[in-house]
Amino acid sequence: MAETTPDQEAPLLEVRDVAVHFGGVKAVDGISMKLWPGRIYGVLGPNGSGKSTLLGAMTRLTPMTRGAFVFEGQDYTKKHARTIQHMGIARTFQTVRLLEDRTVRDNILLGTDSLGRETRKEAAARVDEVMERLGIQEVERMRPDELSYGMQRRVEFARAIISRPRLLLLDEPTAGMNTSEREEISAIMRQLLEEGVTQFIVEHDVQMMVDTCDYLYAMNFGKLIAEGTPTDVVRDPAVQEAYLGKGAGKHA
Amino acid sequence: MSTWYAMNVVLVQTTLTTLLLALSIQVPLRFGVFSFAGVGAFGIGGYGSAIAMVHLGWSTWPAVAFGAVVAGLVVFLLGLVVQRLTGLYMGMATIAFTLIVSVLAVNGGDLTGGAMGLYGALGEISVLQILLVVLLVVALLHLTELGGMGRRVDAVRDDPELANALGVDVVRYRQFSFLVSGLIGGLAGAITTLLRSTITPAEVNFHLVILALTAIVVGGSRSWVGALIGAVIFVWLPTWIGFLAEWERVAYGVIVAVAAIYLPLGVLGVAKDLWHRFRTREERARVAALAKES
Ligand SMILES: Nc1ncnc2c1ncn2[C@@H]1O[C@H](COP(=O)(O)OP(=O)(O)OP(=O)(O)O)[C@@H](O)[C@H]1O
Ligand SMILES: [Mg+2]
Repeated sequence: MAETTPDQEAPLLEVRDVAVHFGGVKAVDGISMKLWPGRIYGVLGPNGSGKSTLLGAMTRLTPMTRGAFVFEGQDYTKKHARTIQHMGIARTFQTVRLLEDRTVRDNILLGTDSLGRETRKEAAARVDEVMERLGIQEVERMRPDELSYGMQRRVEFARAIISRPRLLLLDEPTAGMNTSEREEISAIMRQLLEEGVTQFIVEHDVQMMVDTCDYLYAMNFGKLIAEGTPTDVVRDPAVQEAYLGKGAGKHA
Repeated sequence: MSTWYAMNVVLVQTTLTTLLLALSIQVPLRFGVFSFAGVGAFGIGGYGSAIAMVHLGWSTWPAVAFGAVVAGLVVFLLGLVVQRLTGLYMGMATIAFTLIVSVLAVNGGDLTGGAMGLYGALGEISVLQILLVVLLVVALLHLTELGGMGRRVDAVRDDPELANALGVDVVRYRQFSFLVSGLIGGLAGAITTLLRSTITPAEVNFHLVILALTAIVVGGSRSWVGALIGAVIFVWLPTWIGFLAEWERVAYGVIVAVAAIYLPLGVLGVAKDLWHRFRTREERARVAALAKES
């Protein structure tokens, strides 16, 4: 349903032959993608295949070896990381990164503190609703270290969506959550999609990715080894071998 | 009250100037910069204001402003040079800067009075005036602790990469912290000098780094309130524990060591933590109960 579709003029994000090498380690090695608006994209790949590094490059936190990123027609490859959020791209991190001495509410508001006055006003008005949605309203005055890991991940998620990004990058958003919590987060992602938030998700939970995503990429050794509809990608022999291990395909 | 005041006016003055000095070290720390340039700024502010009075014949407050502004600019420029350094290296470079200031003072000829220092810069400064200056500084710093600004500053300190990802210009914030540190340190040096009418190179020394740092460590490093607590403790401590005679220094050392080990965020940090626990006692109990259930 969601191959490279030409009904929009331009992709929301275009990744052009991006490579990130750390000395001899080719963490990301020539990746090209086109993310069209109004979809949820997923990335599968074994540990160390370069998924987080790709997100780091996309948000310009990680220096690139080559390649380019174009968001809404604008090449932002040479821009500083701090300008990315202003363009309308928000992200979460694989490890929880919250301010320890701040309340949950403060941590979420930090997501718009550097944006325009209107956005900040809107965030202040919306923060209760966002917390409600993620089920963290009860703990709004608590500090991250007083919360479970799953709760901390929800706060991260809230901080990323409070700015109403047009592209949301999520690095293992449901790590440390149980199945029902994962389903909850997955439902929130689908809801966000309806509100116009295109998403790009890295996750290890294949079932959840198949259920949630419109289009999947599979990576190994810094390269794309497959892409397409979730069921096609999961059945792809190269993916089964690299990621799922031989014969594991029947679980997906 | 008035006899108490007459007896302790020097201690009140010293508390206020020590607070300014402590703030000049605390500001960069709040932005995650391990800089002691505030002490060098103290020297520049002191010499700058004394030179303005003695050599240029300026009156008190223009001389103070001159010293503070020169110190602010010099430390800002220093910040541009050393901004890539981190942690210990930043600390070393900024202490070296302080040493350079005192070396320049020794070798400054008539301008600085050489090793003997500069005399005859007696300003007319009332305690009320110092208090007003301190209130202004504290009010402005308070704004940097509130709301979105306070959160951004915390992010710049605790996780600069995250701050960048959230759109904060970390480099600019840190440059700004050098400027503010220089201005406040310069102010402290200028006021101290014009109160005493003299400044010597020996006064711009490592002991000021220790004084400022201990005040912040014991009081609290995250807010001007902590610097105030620290300044009060260390300026008044000798009058409280004077009966210990030669053991006074030991007591001082014990207090600093205990604070550094057991109160990482100082007296203020403990108070804030207690308040937080009290305020959130209900939701924490609920969360604990939920965790037990599951
Ligand atoms: N800063 C760095 N310096 C050197 N090597 C790095 C750096 N960051 C990542 N790598 C290496 O790059 C490769 C890709 O790492 P990356 O974190 O992107 O993998 P990943 O797909 O996100 O893995 P995981 O599923 O475990 O999160 C790994 O071999 C890793 O060791
Ligand atoms: Mg990763």
